[in-house]
Amino acid sequence: MSDEFVWDKTVSDVNDGILKATEKPHPSFYVALCLSLTFLIIGIIAWGLQITYGMGTSGLNAPVYWGTYITNFVFWVGIGHAGTLISAILFLFRAKWRNSINRSAEAMTVFAVITAGLFPLIHVGRVWLAAYWMLPLPNTNNLWVNFRSPLLWDVFAISTYLTVSLLFWYMGLVPDIASMRDRVKGYKRAMFAFLSFGWTGTLRQWHHYEAGYGFLAALATPLVLSVHSIVSWDFAMSVQPGWHTTIFPPYFVAGAILSGCAMVYTLVLPFRRMFRMEGFIRPEHLEALIKLTLLTSTIVAYAYGIEFFVAWYSGNPFEWAIFVKRAIGPYSFYFWVMVFCNCVFPLVFWSKKVRNNQTICFIVCVLVNVGMWFERYNIIVSSLVEDFVPGSWGHYEPSLTEIAITLGSFGWFFTWLLIFCRFFPFVSMSELKLIMPKPLRPKTKYNEVKG
Amino acid sequence: MNKVRNNGIIAIYRYLDDVCEVVESIEKRDDFRDHEVISPTSYHELIHIAEKKYGVSQVRWFTLTGALTGVFTGFAMPLWMDYDWPLVVGGKTAGVYSLPAYVVFGFELMILLGAIATILGMFVMGRFPNPKATIFDTRTTDDRFAIFVPGASIDGQQAKLLKEFGAEEVYSTT
Repeated sequence: MSDEFVWDKTVSDVNDGILKATEKPHPSFYVALCLSLTFLIIGIIAWGLQITYGMGTSGLNAPVYWGTYITNFVFWVGIGHAGTLISAILFLFRAKWRNSINRSAEAMTVFAVITAGLFPLIHVGRVWLAAYWMLPLPNTNNLWVNFRSPLLWDVFAISTYLTVSLLFWYMGLVPDIASMRDRVKGYKRAMFAFLSFGWTGTLRQWHHYEAGYGFLAALATPLVLSVHSIVSWDFAMSVQPGWHTTIFPPYFVAGAILSGCAMVYTLVLPFRRMFRMEGFIRPEHLEALIKLTLLTSTIVAYAYGIEFFVAWYSGNPFEWAIFVKRAIGPYSFYFWVMVFCNCVFPLVFWSKKVRNNQTICFIVCVLVNVGMWFERYNIIVSSLVEDFVPGSWGHYEPSLTEIAITLGSFGWFFTWLLIFCRFFPFVSMSELKLIMPKPLRPKTKYNEVKG
Repeated sequence: MNKVRNNGIIAIYRYLDDVCEVVESIEKRDDFRDHEVISPTSYHELIHIAEKKYGVSQVRWFTLTGALTGVFTGFAMPLWMDYDWPLVVGGKTAGVYSLPAYVVFGFELMILLGAIATILGMFVMGRFPNPKATIFDTRTTDDRFAIFVPGASIDGQQAKLLKEFGAEEVYSTT
């Protein structure tokens, strides 16, 4: 993939172009914000009703106690993964195109993980007691949490992921907030001076900042791979047919990155127009993102195939029965939506013409997001409804409360993201300058000697 | 617009190669002692100069210390809590310490404390947060480079030299 882009802007255009556009977004921004707030309010009302009337308002009942809420949890954690991949892993690989979209991807990660973190709280019902159940805090029984449970591993993994993502994201913002400070006066200047920690951009600061940023990227890289592996162990460590398989960690990580890349595209494309960033987020950058989506889609397709093959090859009748039923049983609709959205539709990305058609790419990326949600639903529900004992088999459909809370989670996520983009640059100005043509004096003695 | 507290002179440059050239020239001169170079972003050319000037960043020791503390804490916490209240799960004998299960905590806390210590290292070594930081020139967070020479005079040799190397503007901060 070529890493050199043709720019019609210079580094001198970056601060003005990005910050002015941030100050006056396109009217569609306000439409999107109103829509997000509406969904958020629907979700809050539904959660309020669930807390008031109890978990009976959800569709969770024997044998399916992990339904839509845990589907949402896994979905939102997965969405976050592309942000860390783009900001940390592609930073270590020195992929230049990530510099124009890394800020929006990091913001997406932070808000997606916060959204994911809500679902265990919603799922436990009595949210005010959640801290005692999830964290190693002293309680009235002097009893500690079970450190051998994958659910507790998950609590540590997600908390670490959120904290490290927040730190990584905020440290990236510091030089840009300093740029904002230097454009304004009065109380705004004082506020940005505080938020930028008094950043001045001296050589000493950049030197240690670059080193620290590299270490944060190096720490975030194994973290992103571990987090969804640990999420997958929530399932794989049990003996439930359809869950108890060693392919889950890489399968989950690949799926998470697929859904995350698709979500970054789904967000960046409209935001790029809303904030008039077409000159900074180039079509080549978007195409690179689509290539990454295609790559992860093929890995996910391979994982689906291997999962089926191993179910058959293992000779375990319970495992094989679950897999056959996924494809032709009562939940086959979810299965085929998953297969088509995640493996078949992204195949159009093999065509360069399609990769550069933003409308088709946007539609396919939305479909990938739908497919990835259905993948988690398929894994969770189809395994739980039918386990070893036919007498305990059941059926599960999400209730209106669960659907409303799911919509609310999208509202919550987009509201925060839109608010962030309204007040802070969603393109990293200091990093964007690094991939633009350097401000060099034309033909000087220094240029001739040093190239 | 420009708010400067320290006494001295500031030279503003537009081009990266000009600022690299001047920094390499003045690096070992006594009359430019304690000068500061300010850049809108971390151009590699400048980072290489910084490495020569400051050596390899010591932030790495903060990261290592934080990460090792995290590994230790990640194993020590569940081991101690197991000792404090043995929890019998799945019929396993109380007092059996499941080290493989605790690898997850060792790993996660290694990352967590390593990252927090890295931020701390960036702060300590980069000398910020600094609420009283001198904003040398507001253009330096946009598209201009600057060299600040404390104690220098606008009529002195330093100002002359900085101009010779292509400074757009040299002005006194007094």
